[in-house]
Amino acid sequence: MGQPIQTLKQIKQINFDYYAGAHMAKQNGRFVAYVNAFTPVELLYALDVFPIYPENHAAIVGARKMTTEVSPSAEAMGYSMDLCSYARCDLGSVKSGISPTWGLPKPDLLLISNSQCGTLTKWFEALSRLYQVPMVLIDVPHSGNGEKDPAAERYLRSQLTDLIRTVEGITGKSLDWDKLRETIRLSSEASTLWTRILEAGTARPAPITVFDQFISMLPIVSLRGTQTAVDFYRALADELEQRAAAGVGAVEDERFRLFWDNLPIWPELRRLSQHLEAKGAALVTSLYTWAWAQLAVGEEDPIGDWVEQYLYKANFHLEKRVADYVAMAEHYQLDGFLYHSNRSCKFVSQDIPEVRHAVTERTAIPGVILEADHNDPRLYSIESLEKQIDTFIDLLAAKPGMNELSKR
Amino acid sequence: MTMQNPWKPFREVVKSPWDHAKQWKRTHDRPVIGHLLPDVPEEIIHATGALPIAIEGAGRTVSHAQAHIPGYTCSHAMGAIELGLTGSLDVLDGMVIPYVCDTTRNLFHIWERLFPEVPSEFLRLPKRLEHPAAREYLKAEFSRFFEVTAKLTGRNAGIADLAASIRLYNRSRALLRDAYQAHLQRPTVWTSDRVYLLLASAMRAPREEHLVLMEALPWHETGGESGQELVPIYVRGKVWDPPGILALMDEIGLKVVEDEIVTGYRSIAVDAATDTDPIEALVDRHLAMVPYAGYHIGPQAMVNGFVERVTGSGAKGVLFLNPKFCEAAGFDTPDFQKALEAAQIPNLVLETSARGGSLEQLRVRLEAFREMLGSELS
Ligand code: SF4
Ligand code: SF4
Repeated sequence: MGQPIQTLKQIKQINFDYYAGAHMAKQNGRFVAYVNAFTPVELLYALDVFPIYPENHAAIVGARKMTTEVSPSAEAMGYSMDLCSYARCDLGSVKSGISPTWGLPKPDLLLISNSQCGTLTKWFEALSRLYQVPMVLIDVPHSGNGEKDPAAERYLRSQLTDLIRTVEGITGKSLDWDKLRETIRLSSEASTLWTRILEAGTARPAPITVFDQFISMLPIVSLRGTQTAVDFYRALADELEQRAAAGVGAVEDERFRLFWDNLPIWPELRRLSQHLEAKGAALVTSLYTWAWAQLAVGEEDPIGDWVEQYLYKANFHLEKRVADYVAMAEHYQLDGFLYHSNRSCKFVSQDIPEVRHAVTERTAIPGVILEADHNDPRLYSIESLEKQIDTFIDLLAAKPGMNELSKR
Repeated sequence: MTMQNPWKPFREVVKSPWDHAKQWKRTHDRPVIGHLLPDVPEEIIHATGALPIAIEGAGRTVSHAQAHIPGYTCSHAMGAIELGLTGSLDVLDGMVIPYVCDTTRNLFHIWERLFPEVPSEFLRLPKRLEHPAAREYLKAEFSRFFEVTAKLTGRNAGIADLAASIRLYNRSRALLRDAYQAHLQRPTVWTSDRVYLLLASAMRAPREEHLVLMEALPWHETGGESGQELVPIYVRGKVWDPPGILALMDEIGLKVVEDEIVTGYRSIAVDAATDTDPIEALVDRHLAMVPYAGYHIGPQAMVNGFVERVTGSGAKGVLFLNPKFCEAAGFDTPDFQKALEAAQIPNLVLETSARGGSLEQLRVRLEAFREMLGSELS
């Protein structure tokens, strides 16, 4: 086992405080909003609304191996196993009352952006009916291959301006722009620090793997715009840079540097991490963790920046993915790609066969497609996945020059 | 010349739309533009002198597409890729994919990679239908689409051309609505299957010719009495899948009185106004249609509106044709069912294009459903 990262010991407490804080906030009369990644969470903090990410709660359910306890309740309500397992875990947890965080406080508002995926809209519509609370969709027209779309920019700007009025109406407060600027400053500081953490993975050996990045994500997801996120990530970034300078790797004997595509397989984090480490394979970077590094906006024109971000930066279309992966192959000195074809997340998975094809064509770096699910262990066999990984690593090991390469 | 079987030309178009499109292209020397369902405004494509042809992926045997898109994708997307890979779509000079869900969003990019030689366009339909800015956005998007299509076909079409196309499509829709009425009144002649043929062929044949053929139908012929009592039902879903399902319903004695199918009544229920700007008229038409499952309106209003439509139709039961792996349909259905149950309206959910399902199994389930509804009627 590689040397553990000390700062990560804080994460358990941060998680605990966040969810306990959410319940307290509700009890103390604060408004609660359920949100997703590409929503202006800084705005909510500035209006004293407590943001909660049902996806994050569902991920904890998955990581604690509770999916099979809660998801069947959603399936009994009629939600098919073909639907996103985050949504099933969330709806099933509400129905069954089983949750690792004492449930989630009832929302006052559901705020969603379809820049991330369309599934969330449908899932939140179901929640809106369940709780009888208002829902606001930030509708982001997909900008094709990223070409400028002034009409879409106007459409988005109008929705965001409206959103401020809606949240002001719900809370009975006016937006304090100074507070918003302060939240934005903290959020962008957290993003910069998170980027440093991801960049640390370029060192050889990598001082952190994607597995550890996954478990340290809650602050960049849920606490963006708070001092807690900044303090935690500063400590983590500093420690990682020290480790990199001292040549301390996350994997004891790093031989293969791999990319992880898509969401983690939450129920198997520990098992897969140990399995890969035993093979000398380090997951040094991933699409998922990088997605959270791009959410900062400026203080000058935050609405304009959100428009730009949701419409163009968050548009992870096939060609952009290929270009990003090719660049990452070089930047992280990758030996291979593990593509998680995630049954639950059709949006991030459907183009994987073409992404793999194009990336291998351009970089000559091989990749393997692992068909699994990010939260539902009933939809894959971990043993088969491990076998596939073993075969892939054997193939990498047999590549001419691999031994010299691994000493680069 | 008296036509022996007036339904035959429609059946032929549906059977081999590509051959018909090829022939049309040879005769007219004009481009053919394919569009995935739903909601690509055919009038815009028509106005630029091209033949719009609807592409329906469901109900096909897939053997090549899995190499390019995972098997947990709905049959509409998989089937469309299959059609492309097997050469059926060679006749196309352009392809339009509407943004209605994550799958079509991904499909557009996959399509561009697989078929780079045919220009493809992504129609960015807004989802938040009730926001006032959505209307403005859609107007801009339809205008952009008009320009792009005109560039593609090389015909500098103007507003007057679009207005003429709208008039033509309105006439066609009016006749198709008459066909639905005929189905309601004389279902033994105007069976669900025949009405479907008219609609499906309209989406694939030149509208002018289709209109002429429709006018020649036996509008005044009175049919014999049906031997069995027909049970009125309402259908929600994407397309009629599997393809034989309507003939099966006719046979079993289930009469579709209204539907939200994109190749069904939904697509002809609303006309575009002719006394206003044509682009605005198309926008208004789009917004007035029954919202597709991938679009967003007030979550409770969505359910209430559905139950009201069902009740208003006089249907005794509801059939959901839910494409397997379609998230939009999958998330809507449980609450829709709950609301129907509260209104004491029986319903049946069929997962369509699920592997391993046969028409015989479907018959058994539909017969049981009919029987249940029939006993409630008596
Ligand atoms: S479909 Fe994917 S992006 Fe959407 S909620 Fe599920 S896991 Fe998240
Ligand atoms: S809305 Fe459903 S059926 Fe239509 S393309 Fe998307 S996933 Fe397929």
